[in-house]
Amino acid sequence: MITLSETRRREPVTEPPRVRVRRQWDKKLYWIATHSLGIAMGVIFMLPIVFVFLTAVMSSEQALSSNFWPKEWHFENFIEVFEKAPLLQYFGNSMLYSTLATLGALISAIPAAYALSKLRFRGQNLFFMLTVAAMMLPPQVTVVPLYDLWVRLGFTGTLVPLIVPYFFFDAFSIFLLRQFFLTIPKDYLEAAKIDGCNEFQAMIKVLIPMAKPGIAATAMFCFLFTWNDYFGPLLYTGETRDSWPLSLAIASFRGMHHVEWNLTMAATALIMLPVIVLFVFAQKSFVKGVTFTGVKG
Amino acid sequence: MSSTTQVSRSGRRWRGSMVLGAVSVAALLSACSGAASGPAGGAGDAAAAPAADAKLTLTVYSKFTDREYNVVTAGLNKLKAKFPNIEIKHEGQQDDDKITQSIRGGNPPDVAISFFTDNLGAWCSTGSFQDLKPYIERDKVDLTQIPDAVRSYTEYQGKRCAMPMLADVYGFYYNKDMFAAKGVTSPPKTTAELFEATKKLTEFNPDGSIKVAGFMPSMPFYANFAQYWAPNFGASYLGPDGQSHLADSPEWKAMFDFQKQLVDFYGGHAKVEQFKAGLGEEYSADHGFQRGKLAMMIDGEYRTAFIKDQTPDLKFGTAAPPVLDSKPDRYGGAFTTGTIIAIPKGAKNPGAAWELIKQVTLDTATLVDLSNGLKNVPSTKAALTDPKLEVNPEFKTFLDLYNGGKLLPNPSTPIGDAHLKAVNDFAEKWQAGNIPDMAAGLKQVDAQINDELAQKRAGG
Amino acid sequence: MTSTLDSRAAGSPSASSRTRKGNAARRRRTIFYFIAPAMLGFLIFFGYPLIATVYYSFTRYDLINPPEFIGFDNYIRMFTSEPLVGTAAYNTLWLVIVLTFCRVVFALGTASIISRLKSGVGLVRTLCYLPSLAPPAAATLAFVFLFNPEYGPVNAFLRSVGVDGGLWFNDPGMSKPALTLLVMWGSGELMIIILAALLDVPQEQYEAAQLDGAGPVRRFWHVTLPSISPVLLFGVVNSMIFALQFFTQAIVAGSAAAGAADVAGNTRFIGAPQNSTLTYPVWLYVQGFRYFNMGYAAAMAVLLFIVSAGFTWILVRQLRKSQHQEEGG
Repeated sequence: MITLSETRRREPVTEPPRVRVRRQWDKKLYWIATHSLGIAMGVIFMLPIVFVFLTAVMSSEQALSSNFWPKEWHFENFIEVFEKAPLLQYFGNSMLYSTLATLGALISAIPAAYALSKLRFRGQNLFFMLTVAAMMLPPQVTVVPLYDLWVRLGFTGTLVPLIVPYFFFDAFSIFLLRQFFLTIPKDYLEAAKIDGCNEFQAMIKVLIPMAKPGIAATAMFCFLFTWNDYFGPLLYTGETRDSWPLSLAIASFRGMHHVEWNLTMAATALIMLPVIVLFVFAQKSFVKGVTFTGVKG
Repeated sequence: MSSTTQVSRSGRRWRGSMVLGAVSVAALLSACSGAASGPAGGAGDAAAAPAADAKLTLTVYSKFTDREYNVVTAGLNKLKAKFPNIEIKHEGQQDDDKITQSIRGGNPPDVAISFFTDNLGAWCSTGSFQDLKPYIERDKVDLTQIPDAVRSYTEYQGKRCAMPMLADVYGFYYNKDMFAAKGVTSPPKTTAELFEATKKLTEFNPDGSIKVAGFMPSMPFYANFAQYWAPNFGASYLGPDGQSHLADSPEWKAMFDFQKQLVDFYGGHAKVEQFKAGLGEEYSADHGFQRGKLAMMIDGEYRTAFIKDQTPDLKFGTAAPPVLDSKPDRYGGAFTTGTIIAIPKGAKNPGAAWELIKQVTLDTATLVDLSNGLKNVPSTKAALTDPKLEVNPEFKTFLDLYNGGKLLPNPSTPIGDAHLKAVNDFAEKWQAGNIPDMAAGLKQVDAQINDELAQKRAGG
Repeated sequence: MTSTLDSRAAGSPSASSRTRKGNAARRRRTIFYFIAPAMLGFLIFFGYPLIATVYYSFTRYDLINPPEFIGFDNYIRMFTSEPLVGTAAYNTLWLVIVLTFCRVVFALGTASIISRLKSGVGLVRTLCYLPSLAPPAAATLAFVFLFNPEYGPVNAFLRSVGVDGGLWFNDPGMSKPALTLLVMWGSGELMIIILAALLDVPQEQYEAAQLDGAGPVRRFWHVTLPSISPVLLFGVVNSMIFALQFFTQAIVAGSAAAGAADVAGNTRFIGAPQNSTLTYPVWLYVQGFRYFNMGYAAAMAVLLFIVSAGFTWILVRQLRKSQHQEEGG
């Protein structure tokens, strides 16, 4: 979506030839400068991840030295971490949390976003503003009564307190979907209604198919957010290890299993991997979604 | 006809789920009152012991991991001799915070085991741990078989809400090879001697960074905590009025002065920190002492088992920790704490939980096995003198310290370990040179501890 | 401005007033169905807790004994006797100022460089964006290792070029800057937003400015900055809110660097070194869910709410403005 070729600077044509030559030199230098900066940036951004992977295949003695390149490649480290901790179980918990929360967020947010973008009602603006405010609210503000509530309901120690709210209200998903829906012309919906669809049918049959990229982006953000969530799981499942997601497990991994940095980095690499894979396959949606949160917002 | 039945059946199911909903709402309401009505199930009668063939699962939280976890799990499972159908679900690496959280969160285990006694006061005073008195009276348990110091640190203001399961004593460890190489003939008995030994044993790299450290002053680090050092300086936390008075205590001042003296010797805080950051994890084979990067340290008796298991070739000795020069009569004393075991409020099987607690805290054979496995000090007199208790010279030091009559535990306070955090926070800032005036800094620590104390006291 | 149904009604003048009323009722019902779950969710998970937090802030509550009303005691304690809340507030304020500044400027810098590239844009953009997706707990662990004073690659590199690297996460003076570096590394999201805005700046304006003899600096100040200012404001407010709720990285970095046996948070190691990573949300968490002074935690939450509401208000006002523009145009 961001193509640079169409927005290139055009050259003013009325210039003496000598100036033009110098300009061409300048342009070449400029090109070299910007591109080397760009390459340097890319490398710097990638270095930490590279080091994580390199350390992950070192021996534990070497991880404690300042030697970057593995002397021997211990790929079995990636298997050993599974013996140290029930990573598969944590992975399952993470999947459960992220999948259900994402599903819930879509089910609850699509109609709300539809109402906010395609219908008109009194208090609409207020509702939108409240959604934005909820999105911005630090989770710590509401945590005391909510924790109390979930204790009384007997759901602490499980992921339920984290998943259930998504089935009702997820501010970010509503916000992002609304931004996407706004870009879909009303004409299509009106045409559907003239054909006899009600609002609900119009949403299902017309809007959702047209907004697929937006919905995909929203789903991915929701998935990613819950996958990375640490505060929520720490609060509700901190003491019940059976419910731990990966994000919480990784933070305790080192101390808990008395392991050295090489295995810790192997586990770190493993938890980063799904995110990287997801990104590689859905890069465009991500970028599009991010752009929408800012520019249109 | 068939379609009607279908409808009515589905109708019934619907109504059924309504009833279920109503029940769950009722349960919800009762849960509300349960959560808010004081230490429910805390005091009162002892829950009946389970039948011999009772089939249930006991959940146990402890902080043990790896080798120690296996030893303790085996010990817990000795209950099966009496109750073959009771399953033990032992979850390791649950620290004090998690135990507290699980109780407050209404999700407690049947039995909670803590390494430390730091939080005992908080657990007792809030009713988080059930009072064991009814059980002790019912089963006529003779508590005098437990030494006095241990009895004192497992109760709070006369309320017994936990039992001791093995004790820890913190002694002095030194590397024998390094002592021989540098001509240090015997383990230091005073802080002045400790400082001299440190000077001899420490090696620096050409760039001035530390290669091998004699004795580390950093807190909190490994077993270097203010509370583990304090007994060797005769320093105590609370005055007779129950308030914190660190700023007025010459002992605390001496202790922090000594710490600073060591930091200065190494060439400043930054050098020490850099060296510290390069040392391995506390319970792994890469522990600095086990890797020969530390010549001396204060640590618990359990380290002898780690060394035997992870680095059996290490030649080391143990001794009583060095004491402040002006307090020679403290020599032979040490910090003690211990593993405690209790029934949390809201435990599902309190009767069976008590049987398990009796098994691992009073049964001599079980205690000796646990002690041999963990190399912890057994907490009953019978187990201490049991011939099956394996005693080597390194471990014997700790038994002697334990029997020496000069043990000092942490005071039980209702504020959990908030006072320990305050003191260790101070030590950390002080060693870094970030506190210009020690007396003023300690006054702040006093204020912080007294504030927490006031907060809890006002709560009743 | 006219809604779908209104225009349809207007387009059929034969419709009687009764059906119109019926339509309106049906419309209201439809709207109700669409937003009811979200409204309910908002009330349960935001409305109720917000009010209840205020109530709890006037009580002493430990989740075991029933809440006891104590008036303003929690607030008085917060502003007078409890010493660490000041440290925590300072740490968070530090992050709100420094972290916000660094994050926005850095994202703007990377975005400007990428916007000037002619080839390899997609690749560089991907590489810069990817780190922002890494789970914060994992990324923080990685950084604690990379910045380890003794054997971390960063200091090893610095040593090789003759610079003394410092203690990073083990030094109270450098732990927050190190966290800021971590956040900058993960600022790809903001970078993408700014990049899109940069590319939206009409090219004619640059050409006009160039013809007027404006150099690159002036072009940036007079053309680029004004047209991307709404996005920059979004970035600033977004970063401030991010800094206000800074939790995961702080708690993981503090515990991991201290060598805590249990990184998920032994209270004694939280905030290490020397409480320099003890942010306001972290201390709120410790007070509420470690010491179970939940009334006090609620009072801290009320204060956090007031501050974050202020920031949110700025953003909402901005949103309103842009929305009016949208509707007007």
